[in-house]
Amino acid sequence: MKNIFVIAKNTFRAAIRDRILHGIVVFAILFILFTLFLGSISLGEDLMVIRSIGLAGIYLFGMIITIFLASSLISLEIERRTLYLILSKPVSTSELIVGKFVGLFAAIILITVSMTAVYLGMVWYKGGGFDFGALIAVVLQLFEAGLFVAITALFSTFAAPFAAAIYGILVLYAGHSLSILLQYVQYRGAALKIAVNVVYYIVPNLEKFNIRNAIVHHLLPTPGMVVISGLYAVLYTIVLLYLAKHLLGKKDL
Amino acid sequence: MGTKRLLRTRKNTPFLQGISKRDTIFIMIEIRNLRKNYGNRPVVSDLSLTVQNGHVFGFLGPNGAGKTTTIKMLVGLVRADSGTIKIDGHEPHETACREHFGFMPEDPYFYDRLTGMEFLKFCGQLFQKSYHKSEREYGEILKLVGIYDARTRRIATYSKGMKQRLGFAQAIVNDPSHVFLDEPLDGLDPIGRREIKGIIKKLHSAGKTIFFNSHVLADVEEICHEIGIIHEGKLVYAGDVKQFCNGRPLEEQFVSTIEKL
Repeated sequence: MKNIFVIAKNTFRAAIRDRILHGIVVFAILFILFTLFLGSISLGEDLMVIRSIGLAGIYLFGMIITIFLASSLISLEIERRTLYLILSKPVSTSELIVGKFVGLFAAIILITVSMTAVYLGMVWYKGGGFDFGALIAVVLQLFEAGLFVAITALFSTFAAPFAAAIYGILVLYAGHSLSILLQYVQYRGAALKIAVNVVYYIVPNLEKFNIRNAIVHHLLPTPGMVVISGLYAVLYTIVLLYLAKHLLGKKDL
Repeated sequence: MGTKRLLRTRKNTPFLQGISKRDTIFIMIEIRNLRKNYGNRPVVSDLSLTVQNGHVFGFLGPNGAGKTTTIKMLVGLVRADSGTIKIDGHEPHETACREHFGFMPEDPYFYDRLTGMEFLKFCGQLFQKSYHKSEREYGEILKLVGIYDARTRRIATYSKGMKQRLGFAQAIVNDPSHVFLDEPLDGLDPIGRREIKGIIKKLHSAGKTIFFNSHVLADVEEICHEIGIIHEGKLVYAGDVKQFCNGRPLEEQFVSTIEKL
């Protein structure tokens, strides 16, 4: 447990000092602030525009940052051979994977919370009060980000950072489109239906974490739905991290 | 030249007198019939070697001979296809066994966004016995390797020689009983080399077992008791340095031995 904390602290510290990341965060905050202007040129729909584009901005930039940080989680350590310095010490591969995951996820939480604070401030400033629904949307987004970090951590145990990012983006895209595709193939051939069903159950259903449209229209999810989505993300993440640990353990460094 | 194993007595190694009541120094590193292939290419073939307690052992060989793979197997980074490694009776894959190791990889890389002090603390905190080290103690280690003044600078701004020194610092942060060094003198200027050799000698005086790979044969001759020579994955000599040199400089004897193979 001690080693997980030490590795997480180090990963967090190294992640938040990345200058490219600082640039993306500044741009993200400017983008969210820009929705004030977009709201002002809409026809009496200021809050709707701010909430809709603001939440989309938090998601978009949150995922860009997640992809940017997570794709190099393990592969860069192998490429730069920093893993030699860690795994030659009394550290297990499980501690390494979990520590790196926790540190990176903590950095993503910090950045997402910062963007959300700017967003909440703007909604409050425009008279929308405290946007509780947006908080739930962001919590679900963080579940998705955690799951995505675990997916990319798995890819980065055997692929280069760029390749891991591409694979991660493909899973992200598939995870949001498969439920629509599944509806589409209902009336197609049986083989296609089976194939899509198999992929549907392997690839995580990321639409479970997308409640942004509902929130913009003041529709709150039930607590049960939030808990189930959270458990789904946690279980999926645990399985993926276990696989990542297994693959890294098999690898000759 | 045949493989030779030396079994020394405490009388021959004064720095160990008083450590053990046994007459024979017990073997700390024991490698038996080690084999490692990458794909179909054998990298290490049937390597057997022993390094005794408190010795400085130089592991030599041409490029691609299998030195780095061997040292990686010794510290648990690479698994052997067959054969055994016992260090103080334990296998290096046992996590707890590595509590007593120090390892410096060849041309080490670091987390560039951390400072030298932050990185050393990070490494120290991964060991039980150095977890509670104070800032002053970490500072002492950085002073020993000569980069104390740069401790608050980010590693990205360090020169190659400074990174090499930081690599050495993290290898001794836990006061290890076995120190494994892969080309520790590489990239250092003559002053840096002299300092690092001085530290290796101090570690030896403190009873540590040091196993290192190097191409700088003059330095090996100066600081090692024993050497092992590996060529195309096979051990061609293991034993006393002076015995191997037979009155000739180590470099000359090494080149002539390799050329005859």
